[in-house]
Amino acid sequence: MPADTSISAPASIPVPPAQSALTEPAWVRAALIGGALLFLALFLLLPLVAVFVEALRRGFDAYWTALIEPDAVAAIKLTLIVAAIAVPANLLFGVAASWCVAKFDFRGKNLLITLIDLPFSVSPVISGLIYVLLFGMNGLFGSYLRDMGVQIIFAVPGLVLATVFVTFPFVARELIPLMQEQGSDEEEAALVLGASGWQTFWRVTLPNIKWALLYGVLLCNARAMGEFGAVSVVSGHIRGETNTMPLHVEILYNEYNFVAAFAVASLLAMLALVTLVVKTALEWRFGDELAAARH
Amino acid sequence: MAIQVSGITKRFNDFTALDSIDLEVRSGELLALLGPSGSGKTTLLRIMAGLESPDAGGLLLNGEEALGLKPRDRQVGFVFQHYALFRHMTVFENVAFGLKVRPRGQRLGSAQIRQRVTELLELVQLSPFAGRYPAQLSGGQRQRVALARALAIEPKVLLLDEPFGALDAKVRKELRRWLRKLHDDIHITSVFVTHDQEEALELADRVVVMNQGRIEQIGTPAEVYDHPASAFVYEFLGQVNRFDCTVEGGVAHVGGGALTIPTEGGVQGPAVAYVRPHDLGVTPATAGPGRISGIHVVGPDARIEIDLAGLALEAEMDRERLATLGIVAGDRCAVHIDRARVFAR
Repeated sequence: MPADTSISAPASIPVPPAQSALTEPAWVRAALIGGALLFLALFLLLPLVAVFVEALRRGFDAYWTALIEPDAVAAIKLTLIVAAIAVPANLLFGVAASWCVAKFDFRGKNLLITLIDLPFSVSPVISGLIYVLLFGMNGLFGSYLRDMGVQIIFAVPGLVLATVFVTFPFVARELIPLMQEQGSDEEEAALVLGASGWQTFWRVTLPNIKWALLYGVLLCNARAMGEFGAVSVVSGHIRGETNTMPLHVEILYNEYNFVAAFAVASLLAMLALVTLVVKTALEWRFGDELAAARH
Repeated sequence: MAIQVSGITKRFNDFTALDSIDLEVRSGELLALLGPSGSGKTTLLRIMAGLESPDAGGLLLNGEEALGLKPRDRQVGFVFQHYALFRHMTVFENVAFGLKVRPRGQRLGSAQIRQRVTELLELVQLSPFAGRYPAQLSGGQRQRVALARALAIEPKVLLLDEPFGALDAKVRKELRRWLRKLHDDIHITSVFVTHDQEEALELADRVVVMNQGRIEQIGTPAEVYDHPASAFVYEFLGQVNRFDCTVEGGVAHVGGGALTIPTEGGVQGPAVAYVRPHDLGVTPATAGPGRISGIHVVGPDARIEIDLAGLALEAEMDRERLATLGIVAGDRCAVHIDRARVFAR
């Protein structure tokens, strides 16, 4: 300690209230938060409410009738079928792709990652068009497929293909960063301890990625059911046969059948809401697990 | 012997990680693979475990050819540098893992597994933590879980990759003693990788010093420290003064004749001499060739920096000796060295 104790804090300088250097004045905070909320209300909440209001404009009976009308039921069924094929397919593709990106080093890895992202950067219409150009009547494999009696475009296989393409990145995108961060130490440990490849996957790899996987599947499902552009190109819009829910909504709307259009749309909106709720719950849960899992 | 490595070579693209390594690990010994990063020590350990396969060479584990065996069939325990504990399993489940994944015929009953895991957790003093997750443990505790998990499968050989690398200094020292004691109790053939010479010298029965994919020297800690086989080993193990000299008739001349030192090794002509700081004698001398340029007291020891005709040397002695000599920075002094190891330049 220095012997000189006459140095003391200058008393005349007012001490500012304790606050972080990053804290803005109250009015700036209020304006920013208010602006963001107003924007959300105007552009997201209002349209969402409008969907339900329009759907129920003629009462619940009319709403219900619109939903159980055969074409609507067919559209709902078709949407569920397409999602039921596309989502598990992308679950498998996604896990496989992230596995090889995260656990192996190979030439062309960056190309693979770029390709996985392709559906995000390509317009959905193009995604649909690719399949028309490949499998359509005048497409690359068109005549061959016609000879074989297989119809892909304007039929369920085309819808599934287009949906799989558009929703491909969702699972892989969730898993790749997580699996890269986790590395393969635990897998190596399992192998040295005597586990087989399958045991390692089921007991070590899968439990470590389960929340991210669920999250990816959820997003993938939401998009698979809600996809419009790509399926619109390959569907052919045959009522009761190749119309998914979003396409059915469009047709009804174009026919000025607003109640029915909004009734089907409300189902999709509900799907979005459920997805959001589950996603938030997962994020809460999964964020916690991730934080705890970090070594 | 427990492990015999012969002519193991491993390349990663253009980089030669291991260059024809021959090594025998004796049954029951604790062997250290010591070297700087990139010396190939971890690669060698991973090859022993089957996590990496060599480009050439042979490997015998307990007399059996092991290169064709998968890691799961080699019966080795491996402790990873960052432990690689299963983060979604409790401590108990982590330790039990190796027992639970055994094929049905060889698997113990669940009561026996429970008993074995309980014993192991007692051995590593972690019984109260059986229900915790790895994230809820300290570094030292995770390390011991990793050890218990590796020992659970009753391995013939225990391999440890930088076992104390991720721990702070105090815990590291405690765990080191504890591991030494554990090894004395269970006598499992063990190989550990480290870049910390103090760790290797304190813990190991024998030390293998590696550099650039080759073995520089194998010997007991005393042998490698007192009689380094190469300039590299000298520089890597402990503090050392390194200076150029000229050797004539077994006597090294340093700094234009300011100092002459008897040498060993039969080198003639231009050479590099190595002297440990504690082998360097300092006496106050008003007309001496050296000058004390600084004194640093670190705990019980004192490090003395000496400028000898433009040559910077470092001596080490305890504080009492320093007080007896009564030297301070700026004093002139004489330097004498009983013996130096020289290597041809």
